[in-house]
Amino acid sequence: MGLHLTTDMFVQQLVNALIIGSFYALIALGYSMVYGIIKLLNFAHGDLFMFGAFIGYTVLAKLTGTGSSLLGILIAFLIAMLVTGFLGMGIERMAYRPLLKAPRLSILITAVGMSLFLENGVMAAYGAKPYIMPVTLPTAAFSFLGTKITYSQIGIIVLSALLMVALQLFIHKTIYGKAMRAIAIDQTACSLVGINVKKVISLTFFVGSALAAAAGMMNATYYGNITFMMGFIFGLKAFTAAVIGGIGNIQGAVLGGLTLGVLETFGTLVIGSEWKDVFAFLILILLLVLKPTGILGEKVTERM
Amino acid sequence: MLKVLRNVSVIAALASMVTLTACGNSNTATNTTGGSNGSSGNSGGDILVGLQFPLSGNEAKMGEDMKQAAELAADEINAAGGVNGKKLKLVAQDDASDPQTATAAANKLVSQGVTAVVGGYSSGATIPATGVYHQNGIPMVVTAANSQKISDQKFPEIFMINGTTVHQADIATDYMVNKVHGKKIAIIHDNSGYAKDLAEKTKADVEKAGGQVVVFDAVNPDESDFSALISKLKQAQPDATYWTAYYKAGGAFIKQFKQQGVSGVIGVGDGSNDKTLIQIAGKDAAEGTFITTSPTAEFLPEGKKFIDEYKAKYNAEPGPYSALEYDGVKVLADAIKRAGSTDQKAIVEALKKTDLKTLSSQVSFNEEGTLKKSNFIVLQVKDGNFAALK
Repeated sequence: MGLHLTTDMFVQQLVNALIIGSFYALIALGYSMVYGIIKLLNFAHGDLFMFGAFIGYTVLAKLTGTGSSLLGILIAFLIAMLVTGFLGMGIERMAYRPLLKAPRLSILITAVGMSLFLENGVMAAYGAKPYIMPVTLPTAAFSFLGTKITYSQIGIIVLSALLMVALQLFIHKTIYGKAMRAIAIDQTACSLVGINVKKVISLTFFVGSALAAAAGMMNATYYGNITFMMGFIFGLKAFTAAVIGGIGNIQGAVLGGLTLGVLETFGTLVIGSEWKDVFAFLILILLLVLKPTGILGEKVTERM
Repeated sequence: MLKVLRNVSVIAALASMVTLTACGNSNTATNTTGGSNGSSGNSGGDILVGLQFPLSGNEAKMGEDMKQAAELAADEINAAGGVNGKKLKLVAQDDASDPQTATAAANKLVSQGVTAVVGGYSSGATIPATGVYHQNGIPMVVTAANSQKISDQKFPEIFMINGTTVHQADIATDYMVNKVHGKKIAIIHDNSGYAKDLAEKTKADVEKAGGQVVVFDAVNPDESDFSALISKLKQAQPDATYWTAYYKAGGAFIKQFKQQGVSGVIGVGDGSNDKTLIQIAGKDAAEGTFITTSPTAEFLPEGKKFIDEYKAKYNAEPGPYSALEYDGVKVLADAIKRAGSTDQKAIVEALKKTDLKTLSSQVSFNEEGTLKKSNFIVLQVKDGNFAALK
């Protein structure tokens, strides 16, 4: 069963790695933003990814109908982002805000509870069976270095990149972004100078959740099926990605996501598919031992 | 600290509420058929036959389909004068497809004084139940559950009328090596007990039949991305690829297999025998996929009459294991008739000598209490549906 890496296989795997890495990165962004601003590991975040996929599915199935109309997918995509964004805000308002002053452990456990709530809530509403997305992405492809790459794959990578750039601009060029960065440094000082801290935290949850929903929707259309548990492993992997990049750091989340995607894909190729998840978490453990702050992480005074 | 505790308990309460709603219907339910509720023992000249399968929980539909098929068989037997002049009376217990509930269900059937038991859907729930029946000397015809582990216990009272992994590996190998004339075979499983067992047995069979297993690999059960594995397969250029795991990941696997244009035919084991497989893979990608599976009524030569009667009685299609459950009741009735009494030792002896033409196959047992001849069949996806292989 010897395996030698040919160019076409390498290119093919690189595209796959970038796609998976983009999904991880988009979810990791939400993890990192929330951690950066209120020092909470929002373990329900992976389930927002799942929720986004279900909203997208529902919109496609009930409203825009079947067929692979790109406009229909785009509308479902935007609605999924919007609805999930508001859900993220709601979760923050209902579950986390009352606990902001409580010991860190309470809010962490709340996040785990929220994750279970979302998973089981969706299971209760939709059932445990897998749902098939009513649309299929166009399979038109072009040849590149001896391998077939579909335009849909390129589309996913480009769209993910656009979202990441937009977030970067939002954080660095807008007043709200500035407020987010300020709150991450010192919440009390921010309130003193008149920043509406609660509103900005709420906005952070909206943006993070919407990005997770975007990843969920892209994942769903790419692979073609969704289940209520799909967010679990993706959430953990994205958390790994955020830690690899340095949790709390926005560029770090993107870098961590892509790094994990590449390592995981090529690692799987070499050591076998059954070790995929083991391999990903082995990277996490190694990193925590060797460089606990992550690739781009700054010195942290407190770690959970 | 108190505050933390309070918060934790609120969450715990919330979480348990959710869990409760999620499995609210998995309570043990007693289900008695034919009004024999409360009557224990074989008094009143009836032969009490226990049925055991899931009637609640995720698999409740499977149990319901089996129960109806058992009733259909018993009604037919009773209408024709019963067995040795006595009527069959069925009493069903819910095993919820869960080992603990199954043990309780088995004990309940024992205390109700059943002569024999017909049923068993999931192997996990059936294995502990067979232990209870064995201790009490009660013969059981296992109808759907087909883990080799059931027969490995070597309980003389337990007879399996569904083929085991050995039977399935046989038929899969026969198809890939002899029918497709494949030399290079790839086998993929997901490390779950059943899928791995089938994969290993198939590998051994293929090698014995002169084929070469070029890829033997496992994936995570909930995997959605198979790109690395597909690359590996593409390079190995198999003539046939056999997926022994379940339908959800299987559908995604077939989809990506076809997208990347891997060589050779692709097929799946009975864990993937679900129409959702075709939906997930997509109609075009699924076309031509072969499926090795236990016999379901619609693909059996004698099946049409059974389906018609079933539909007439219940206004519903029989389930995937209905035919086997129907056969199970017939096999038991045949053995009781030949035993000439409801003495359980005599019934076990009679079961050993079974040679009965049933819907699914000619049933006769080997020493282990499993089928002498495989009753597995090969189907193929045609126009988005499973169809008998021509």
